[in-house]
Amino acid sequence: MDESKGEAIKPGVCIPWEQKLKELPDIQGDPQIVRRVWEDNEALAYTFIWHCLVSF
Amino acid sequence: MSTTLEQKYAERLKRYTTAMRNGKPDRVPIRPFAAEFAAKYSGYNCQQVTHDYELAFDAVRKCATDFDWDAVVGNMVYVWTGLTQAIGLKYYAVPGIDVPAETGFQYREPSEDNAHMRAEEYDELIADPTGFLFNVWLPRVSADIVGPNQPASYRSNLALLKGGMAMLKYFYAFPQQGARLQQECGMPSAIAGILKAPFDILADKLRGYIGLTVDMFERPEKVRKACEALAPHLLHVALTSAEPTKTLPIAIWMHRGCVPFVSFETFENLYWPTLKPIILEIVKRGYQVLFYAEGNWNMHLKSFAELPDGSIIYHVDKADIFEVHKAIGHKFCLSGGIPNYLLGFGTPDQVRLCCRKVIDGVARDGGYIMDASAIIQNDAKVENVKAMTDFTREYGVY
Repeated sequence: MDESKGEAIKPGVCIPWEQKLKELPDIQGDPQIVRRVWEDNEALAYTFIWHCLVSF
Repeated sequence: MSTTLEQKYAERLKRYTTAMRNGKPDRVPIRPFAAEFAAKYSGYNCQQVTHDYELAFDAVRKCATDFDWDAVVGNMVYVWTGLTQAIGLKYYAVPGIDVPAETGFQYREPSEDNAHMRAEEYDELIADPTGFLFNVWLPRVSADIVGPNQPASYRSNLALLKGGMAMLKYFYAFPQQGARLQQECGMPSAIAGILKAPFDILADKLRGYIGLTVDMFERPEKVRKACEALAPHLLHVALTSAEPTKTLPIAIWMHRGCVPFVSFETFENLYWPTLKPIILEIVKRGYQVLFYAEGNWNMHLKSFAELPDGSIIYHVDKADIFEVHKAIGHKFCLSGGIPNYLLGFGTPDQVRLCCRKVIDGVARDGGYIMDASAIIQNDAKVENVKAMTDFTREYGVY
């Protein structure tokens, strides 16, 4: 099983980077930093909701 | 850490991991899942350890100091009700608030009509499980959080903020507890990481057991698709909550996917096919999985035997542990098998007799970890847990 396959929004994120990118102006600096930090923070929200379901 | 404790930690970890890999250590390891029992032993009540996790941690450290065990869970009273209260979760009865302070927390499954997910919502869950949880499930299970079509409220914003920060605080406290157990008690942690079967999650937290039973007849294909949609997320939760050295197993808490909760066909056609790929992926990545088989899963041992040798540790609750050993003991380490009623209502002599029987019957070639059948709560007598520990230490030497 590949956790990245099988549904529209992959595990680990709530709002995919691709969707967020469309809302941003042209990134003048390094887009990878913006993407990485966006996804890191996404992971926190994802952890919250899935652990509410699974652990609590 | 003193040399003695350092040495103890190394010996215990080696003993525990050797047995988990179905090998023969120097003696039978002891790994009780002591939940409210730890509170009772340490002089706390259920409210104290459920609502204040630092007290729960302290209780575990006291047990780890006083009992010669080989591994413990940092906090087996896993639901921190301070967090569930911050989020406004409605489905727990909290000790000291909803139930007496001396009673363990309770899960309150709603009636079929008030299920956390309605029968007509399967498509929404399948299309976007995470979105469904945030937009539909969470507002329904929380007294404070509002859904996307309702006006934002102070209480809702606070519940999300406090809940998120409380969860971070709680999860970040676990590694520190692990370090203190190691340094102050020479005690390894028993597990790291959490998994539940897609079917169990649907039954426990979404449709409810009765709702899901009806769905199995009225919309079985939707149930299958929902399980398949949940599976990648449950895998992700398991992997991201595990520990990086892959020494400790990820625990799966198995609830109501076995006969007689479901038919044999439901297990064969739905429960197992949607769980097995998750297990195989976890194993492929180098982890073991602890099957905490609550109840009696002996009807399904053949399916579990399909898994690679040594890939799981199989915990026995109400099933006949000798039957389990005969069926899968050559492939996997077993744990448990000492009935909780015996720890609660038996005598130390009866406990010792039972431990002897289990050790003789299933531990001769290694691959066995001493534990109660289920999580040990505050009904267990201290002298009986002591008898289980001391007898195993003496008699369980290879």
